[in-house]
Amino acid sequence: MVAMGFDAGRRLVVGAWGGVGLEGDWTTAGWGEGVEVAGGILHTILFHRALGLVRPKDIDLELFEITYVQCGDTELEKKIDEKIEQFIDRVEKHPNKKNQVCLSFYEVKNKQPSWFTNKVERLHWEQWNINLNVAQHPKTHSGKSHHSKVLVDPGDSALEERSIRRAALETSLREVLFQIIKFVNEKKDHVPSIPNLEGVSFPYEITISSSSDSAFGMDMFKRMLQTGHPTMLS
Amino acid sequence: MDLQSGPHGEYGRFEQILSQFLLKSLHIVLDSRVPSIRPRSGRGRLLSGAQSKKNDKWFSLALGDRPSALENLNFWHRNLMEPMVIDIILVQETQSDQDMYVSSGLGTVVETLIERWVVQCESGSPMGFHGDSSASHKKTYKKLIILLRSLYSTMRLLPAHRAFRKLCLSSKGCDFDIIYKVSSFSAPFSRAEEETMKQYGFVPVDAPQGRLSISVTYRESLSDFNLETSASFPPQIITDYVGSPATDPLRAFPSTDKGFCATSVPSRGMQSPSSIPFQRPHSWTGGLHRGAPLGRTLPLGGSPPAYPSSFGQYEAASSPSDNYRFQNNRHSNHHKATSFDDYQLSPPFSPSPSPSPSPSPPTYLSSGNPVQNCTRGESSPVSIPHPMLGRSPRYLSPNLSDPNRNSLPPLSPRSLKHDPSYQDSPSGIRSGRRSDLTRTGDPSPGITNYYFGQKVSRDSKDDSGRFSGLLSSSGSPRVGLSRSSSRFSFQDDLDDSDFSCPFIVDDVDTPETQARQNVDGNKASEFTSQTFGVGRKSQDAAVGALVHMLRTAPPLRQDSSCFSSRSLNPGLEGDAGTASGFFLPRKTSDALEELRVYKEVKDLLLSKSGARFVSKEDTTG
Repeated sequence: MVAMGFDAGRRLVVGAWGGVGLEGDWTTAGWGEGVEVAGGILHTILFHRALGLVRPKDIDLELFEITYVQCGDTELEKKIDEKIEQFIDRVEKHPNKKNQVCLSFYEVKNKQPSWFTNKVERLHWEQWNINLNVAQHPKTHSGKSHHSKVLVDPGDSALEERSIRRAALETSLREVLFQIIKFVNEKKDHVPSIPNLEGVSFPYEITISSSSDSAFGMDMFKRMLQTGHPTMLS
Repeated sequence: MDLQSGPHGEYGRFEQILSQFLLKSLHIVLDSRVPSIRPRSGRGRLLSGAQSKKNDKWFSLALGDRPSALENLNFWHRNLMEPMVIDIILVQETQSDQDMYVSSGLGTVVETLIERWVVQCESGSPMGFHGDSSASHKKTYKKLIILLRSLYSTMRLLPAHRAFRKLCLSSKGCDFDIIYKVSSFSAPFSRAEEETMKQYGFVPVDAPQGRLSISVTYRESLSDFNLETSASFPPQIITDYVGSPATDPLRAFPSTDKGFCATSVPSRGMQSPSSIPFQRPHSWTGGLHRGAPLGRTLPLGGSPPAYPSSFGQYEAASSPSDNYRFQNNRHSNHHKATSFDDYQLSPPFSPSPSPSPSPSPPTYLSSGNPVQNCTRGESSPVSIPHPMLGRSPRYLSPNLSDPNRNSLPPLSPRSLKHDPSYQDSPSGIRSGRRSDLTRTGDPSPGITNYYFGQKVSRDSKDDSGRFSGLLSSSGSPRVGLSRSSSRFSFQDDLDDSDFSCPFIVDDVDTPETQARQNVDGNKASEFTSQTFGVGRKSQDAAVGALVHMLRTAPPLRQDSSCFSSRSLNPGLEGDAGTASGFFLPRKTSDALEELRVYKEVKDLLLSKSGARFVSKEDTTG
């Protein structure tokens, strides 16, 4: 689920994407799904915003029957891989938090140098917020760290359940990619002029953030209500 | 691309952009759906010529060389405002209810439109004509870049992409193909088609001179077509091919020849698998590829000779003179006929549970498939009675995993006569005692290689399957084992009783054979050659000669090689049936005498080799 709109600073902001939750204990391929999803989304966005000369490269996801396109820029791929890795680390450290990946494009405006600052100003003209919710598998110990154990009963039912989840995730991912393509086409007037560059034409940045502790507390409260903690029932 | 300068005015500049936009769109669509459209260089990253490089940079999307078919789109310049309709058609041959082999591949070709792309520029833009046209061109160009990126990405998200990937990745042929048709008008869909199709339209790009848009009507699901590739079917062994044991009683073993061919032809027959997806013409040449190598070359590397000519046909078919309708050989009856004729070759090598090959393949095979003939010519006529075969598995089991191998009969001397190098095979026989079975498993590459070579030139009645089975396995080890096993069984018979040779002894050089009985394994090959010379006359004669030699053989020495050399005669291997006849004329006294001799040898060996002799005693009983 993606929302889009312009903020006060005339930036195109694509809202949080919370429609897809990744479930699975860390020892299974569930986490790999997250990596592939994040990579697919980021690369797809960048492919439509890196308006310099590119030599597209098809990437087939291993866990999903989805093919997305990369720009063929090795530097870009390296940077995205690093960011995804940071995201993984962040999620592992804070498994109960909602983690968000923010991809934004900006223009560099040279501010008039003053006595105090000589920095350049970044004018973001488009921002994509991607929320990746990673949930623990219900059969695993809840609230544990990323070293949670393997499924207690990894029988056929668990595999079937995983395959169902993966199929749903694949459908959602495909829908999200379609939506991204739709959005990048709907709003094009705000895209700046293309400098004479190859590959990534516009500067961009990828930031990773997590929900605040207060939100974490609310999440815990909600979980307690859902699981029927004895203290809450009394 | 340079927007600042141009030989034409503003409209000329726009015309240039529009023309390149149409070409790039067509390039993206065809490159993402039709494997055969790709240049021979593969993905097309290698550009030929400066102009190609320049053209490739349009819209900041480098796709490589444009397909040659695109170069014939000059007609588009006549009226750029006409829509460009690109139909992506799935071609599939459906089988009738009858046996697919009986139908000889002449199924019904079904063409189904799976995607229709419409790229057009609608004249008259609400924006009107802007004075600052250069800036508007830049803006339009930028938007078209994004639009084409979206087109490129969407091509990979639609259902047809999966079929395209199957076609590209399958190195063993597919049962379908994807072709295209480019025209300037779109035929209306039928109601049934409309129900299965969905529409998707990209956000159009408004330009001063018109609105550029791309839309697609695509089939939502391709699951109805059961798109499969040959690779999804495991190679199956057809056991009742012409000349197989099932059809010829003399062929005493189920052959893995077909299995060998079935596995190798698809792999080899994929004619430079990496290049097929990029070289294949537009439709049924996938079937051509599968069938072509059957009669062409041996495994590993035959490329269908029909391909270049057929590809030429496609080039001719892509003439733009056909009312702006570009079709890739789809409606060429000649091509279809050719396709079907050649496609008949594919069924025997396409996996099928049916044990009966279609009429076409047997005809083809018997008409001179070098593989078949050669394999056939390799093994000798099997006149070995079945009891000998029954003994084989015991000795073959240690090194065999294929049950078919267990029933491999040893090669008859008649085949061996043509094979001087085969005379070396008794190296396995020489050490053919049961305890030495593992050693007989030592590969004798010379034999295997020779047989493989003979596969091309031999022309006897031997069962190719057996030979192929030999090759498909560890090769000579099985040969050695089978030989030794059969020899051993005969040895058992000899051990039990004395006999007189009931057979005709033809040209048996007894002194020579006797002289060689005491030599090591190397010279035993000469002995074997002599035996083979005997075998030339008849198997019975060879058996008789062997029996004679055994009877006149000196007592066993302490050297184990001597023990094995006495019975070196491959021809005896095929004599399981006659071995039983040896029992009849032997006298009890002879048997007792022989038993005494053996006991003496036993005692001697026991004192020398200890446990090893004991094991032999157990087996020789």
